[in-house]
Amino acid sequence: MIKSYKLRRTIADVVIYVLLGVLGLIWVSPLVWLVLHSFRGEGGVTVPYVFPKQPTLENYKLLFTRTDVFDYPRWFLNTFVVAVFSCIISSLSVLMVSYAFSRLRFKSRKMFINIGMILGMFPGFMTMIALYYLLKAMNLTQTLPALVICYSAGSGLGFAISKGFFDTIPRALDEAATIDGATRNQIFWKIILPMSKPIIVYTVLTAFIGPWCDFILAKIIMGDKRDNYTVAIGLQKMVDKEYKQTYFKQFLSGSVLVAIPITILFLKMQNYYVEGVTAGGVKG
Amino acid sequence: MNKTKRFCAIALAAMMAVTAFAGCGPAATPDTPTGGDTSAATGGDTSVTESTDPLGGEGAGGTINLKVWGPDAVQDVLKSQCATFSENMKSYGDVQIEVVPQGEADSATQVLTDASAAADVFGFACDNLDKLVTAGALLEVAGADKDFVTSSNSEASVGAATKDDKIWAYPETGDNSYCLVYDKRVVSAEQAKTLEGTLEACKAANKKFVMDAGNGYYSCLFMFTGGLKIEGYEEDGETQKFSEYDEDKVVKTMLAFSKLFVEYKDNFLNGEVTKVVDGFKSGTVGAGFDGSWNFSSAKDALGENAGFTVLPTINVDGTDTPIVNMFGYKLLGVNSSTKYPNTAIELAKFLSGEDCQRERAEKLNWGPSNKVVAESDLVKNDEALNAILSQSANSVPQVGVAATFWTPVGTFGSKVVDADNPLDEAAAKELIKTTIANVRDE
Amino acid sequence: MTFIEYKSLSPAQRVIYKVKEFFSLLPGRVKAFFAAIGKFFRNLGNSFVEGLKGYGSRFASGDASTKISYLVMGFGNFTRGQVGKGLAFLAAEVLYILYMLNFGLVYLNKFDTLGTTQAHQEINPATGRPMMVAGDNSMLILLYGTMSILITIVFIAVYVANTKAAFEAEQNQKAGRKNLTLKEEMTDFLDGKYHITMLSLPVLLISIFTILPLAFMILIAFTNYDRSHVPPGNLFTWVGLQTFRDVFKVSEGASKGYTFLALTRWTIVWAIFATFTNYIFGMIIALMINKKSIKFKVFWRTLFVVTIAVPQFVSLLLMQQILQDDGVLNVILGYMGIPAISFFNSTALTARITVIVINMWVGIPYTILSTSGILMNIPEDLYESARIDGATPVVQFFQITLPYMLFVTTPSLIQSFVGNINNFNVIYLLTGGGPNKDANLYQAGQTDLLVTWLFKLTMDSNDYNTAAAVGILVFIVCATLSLITFNLSKSSRNEEEFS
Repeated sequence: MIKSYKLRRTIADVVIYVLLGVLGLIWVSPLVWLVLHSFRGEGGVTVPYVFPKQPTLENYKLLFTRTDVFDYPRWFLNTFVVAVFSCIISSLSVLMVSYAFSRLRFKSRKMFINIGMILGMFPGFMTMIALYYLLKAMNLTQTLPALVICYSAGSGLGFAISKGFFDTIPRALDEAATIDGATRNQIFWKIILPMSKPIIVYTVLTAFIGPWCDFILAKIIMGDKRDNYTVAIGLQKMVDKEYKQTYFKQFLSGSVLVAIPITILFLKMQNYYVEGVTAGGVKG
Repeated sequence: MNKTKRFCAIALAAMMAVTAFAGCGPAATPDTPTGGDTSAATGGDTSVTESTDPLGGEGAGGTINLKVWGPDAVQDVLKSQCATFSENMKSYGDVQIEVVPQGEADSATQVLTDASAAADVFGFACDNLDKLVTAGALLEVAGADKDFVTSSNSEASVGAATKDDKIWAYPETGDNSYCLVYDKRVVSAEQAKTLEGTLEACKAANKKFVMDAGNGYYSCLFMFTGGLKIEGYEEDGETQKFSEYDEDKVVKTMLAFSKLFVEYKDNFLNGEVTKVVDGFKSGTVGAGFDGSWNFSSAKDALGENAGFTVLPTINVDGTDTPIVNMFGYKLLGVNSSTKYPNTAIELAKFLSGEDCQRERAEKLNWGPSNKVVAESDLVKNDEALNAILSQSANSVPQVGVAATFWTPVGTFGSKVVDADNPLDEAAAKELIKTTIANVRDE
Repeated sequence: MTFIEYKSLSPAQRVIYKVKEFFSLLPGRVKAFFAAIGKFFRNLGNSFVEGLKGYGSRFASGDASTKISYLVMGFGNFTRGQVGKGLAFLAAEVLYILYMLNFGLVYLNKFDTLGTTQAHQEINPATGRPMMVAGDNSMLILLYGTMSILITIVFIAVYVANTKAAFEAEQNQKAGRKNLTLKEEMTDFLDGKYHITMLSLPVLLISIFTILPLAFMILIAFTNYDRSHVPPGNLFTWVGLQTFRDVFKVSEGASKGYTFLALTRWTIVWAIFATFTNYIFGMIIALMINKKSIKFKVFWRTLFVVTIAVPQFVSLLLMQQILQDDGVLNVILGYMGIPAISFFNSTALTARITVIVINMWVGIPYTILSTSGILMNIPEDLYESARIDGATPVVQFFQITLPYMLFVTTPSLIQSFVGNINNFNVIYLLTGGGPNKDANLYQAGQTDLLVTWLFKLTMDSNDYNTAAAVGILVFIVCATLSLITFNLSKSSRNEEEFS
């Protein structure tokens, strides 16, 4: 009986290992393809075989040398700067909003929460043209600060997860601190924030990744000002009809270079991310 | 006395120009000028006489700053041509031209998003002409400029720049279309004359034939070849007008295409045009309908084996019918919000003129719209340019195409080549009806 | 019924219970939902009335400097020692007046017609060349007009607050209480009024960059801003509900109405499949990785999570390349002797299944990350008793894990449902809406969601008003669905139970 139970468990484990192996392979193989073909020297967009025949570093070299049309290094730097600033502003505003909604009690708090939830449900494309002219009225179009504003201004609406996280911190802590004479400001900075590393990491990570992915709004705002493009616009442009034939392999190598820093960051912070999203997601 | 008169003329011109700029401003104050360089009125450079100054006195107000948009591939040529223009205009004013890379496909969208941030002179594909004119983004070509455009360019290219009997832009090329590109080792020049021969040759060599049949730009040939063509707009200015057509003939043509693509379905690759050159490189493609903008890549891929010719014929009911496609032109437009309309017009005329077109044909392999250049040996001896310019004789100009045309016609194409559900006569009739209704938004 | 009671039912009873509960509660919930919306607007109106209440009586009973505050804002505070506060109110008034005179009024004046002078070209007699005669720009009038209205609403609120503050300062002085100094007031903002400190900047940013553009978009749905009315060369104007009528009008052949219905159906099917495939399969993989006897947990998890780190548009474009008719997947299938599959170009069904499967590739890693922790928290004794009953892992999953998880994670599930209704990237980058084999669709393909249709309407055919109307309808669908399901779910009723 015990033996057969053990045997069954071993079989189950083997099945799981096999399944995980197969699934894992399915999940990473597109990325492996990406990396492999970023070293491909021959052919254009598609080739009728799996492994490149002439491996080369040329595609990476061209990213940094053939900069007259696609100034990749500059765009990479732009994106990094925008990501850092918008990440700081959005993290702060998400944390502030969710703290207020979670820990403070004030008139029409419920109403604010409901409005916040509902505003996030509008599909945003029509608003882009309005955003453009608002920024133009402020003389900000075609600049990097405009992008920072666009990416971080609405971030306060993404309070759900971190509010959920704050909700799990016992209220007794606040009460004890209030008795000791701490103001709410001090409670936020000195007590709540230090306890919120997971949710801060979660917020920072999501805010940081955003600018690397947006290619629609950024392009409308930047227009013909190529010096201020971000990597996402550039990569998207590389696969446009006009450039695809020539630049597709550089698109692959450029994507690999974008993915590397984010991957490292992500893997390092993974545990905090999981903790944050778990605690926040349950209460939502 | 004479001096006063001249001063008045310049002042008047400047006033007019100034009012023109108001178009770009917030537009809430139609009566007051919102921008521009009023100092032109007091500049009074005595060496300028109004009859000979092509810049209309704009040079008197100091430096003229213009922005020009052109695609990446032409940056070097465009920059040197603009430098030549500045040099030519030196005696009338200091013209500083900034050349900014911007693809023809994007430029219209960006002009429509914000004309005041757009280039003063920009290249665009003629299918965007209607949008731009409707939005009031282009300065009309009138008077002597109109005569210049009509006399030097081919009739079709001028037609592509015309809307409502007015000319709105300066033709820049006469080659924005596609034709048959093939690998001479796979398809012989004789076989390339018919679609049947081309497909058979591909089958014999076990190679693919590529066409982007789900894209309205290419799939429209299925209807055009049968005689169902477009003829601009109805009177409302936005509903697509179709030509009178013989339903029987259209259906027979569609069925002929359908039959071929079913018969050769293992050798037919329905996908983006980039696959033609990709396939040449990897040796999997024998022929395809490819655009003129890819010709140089095709030459790179195949070397002297690259063959170019007009679209082949298709056998409909026993007769070899030439395939009719859509033919586009690249145009140069003058932004109606420009601060220097006269200089911008001069620049557009210069860039679309004979010398510049010749230089582009030579260095970039762009097919000219200019009549003189099109007749030159330079063009006649180039197989690719010759093929694309000959195709224009058998085509519907890409003029007056409604924005609602492309998606339904793409759908139409997907259904014609669908080998899993081959068309029959009834389905073809139904398809024609729904496609037309859909394009006309009825 | 508590979770434990529910667990004690037999599977058949559970299904019956669920179905019965769903349908018995549905009408009530729908009613409650619309009642809640009504209540929301009533509350909004009430608080507005509340704010105005006492506006007149304060004026009547106030002294001279309070009365002057009704004209010169901040005067009452200024004369009673609250210099900073008084100056702030005055500055608000001056700024508002300057804004209105220099900018706002021009646009507000034309807001009712959205402009009357059309731009056109004339021949300049001096040069013989055409020139532009500018006219009104309806879009800017609408945008800046809306902005001015919102600013005016905010200003009215500040103005009423000013009268209140002046009156309070007077009362305080009369009662012999000392008015708060600027410094004291500032300190209060760090404690008692801390929510104002925390919320004001985010609310300001959201108002300018989210609410204002949204209001603009909503208003566009009531105009005729379409491809034949594009500014600056043309004017557009108010047309009331005409656009909505067009969207709902189903006629013979291709029509917006038919397209709207077809796309709504597919959008909902898509959202359901996209959400639940990710949810269930993600959880199964997470369970496998987290099974006690499985080694190299970090390795397995990393394998899946790496895909999150690659920007989504890159990985989607990648997938699009891989799945082409002549892409690498078909090459591999060819090696194995399987005929090539046309993932995107053959039938609508194939393309739809393809996008749902690819969406799993994109989304499952997120599910693994977000559910791992919660899965570990499921009380072990639930499984224990099931095991004693001889339940297989599959039965355990459907009887314990899934209900528990649904119970706990409903809010985030709703979020991902709404997210999927608005999932632009996956469809746009993978299929671009294709294949297009339904000739009755207006400017759309068979995998187009409402959002991607909306995008095409704006970018390709310039039907801005239809796009805006569709946007509003999508919003109504999302808000209704999510609020109803949110209310139906147990987790909203027993919020505290599992925390």
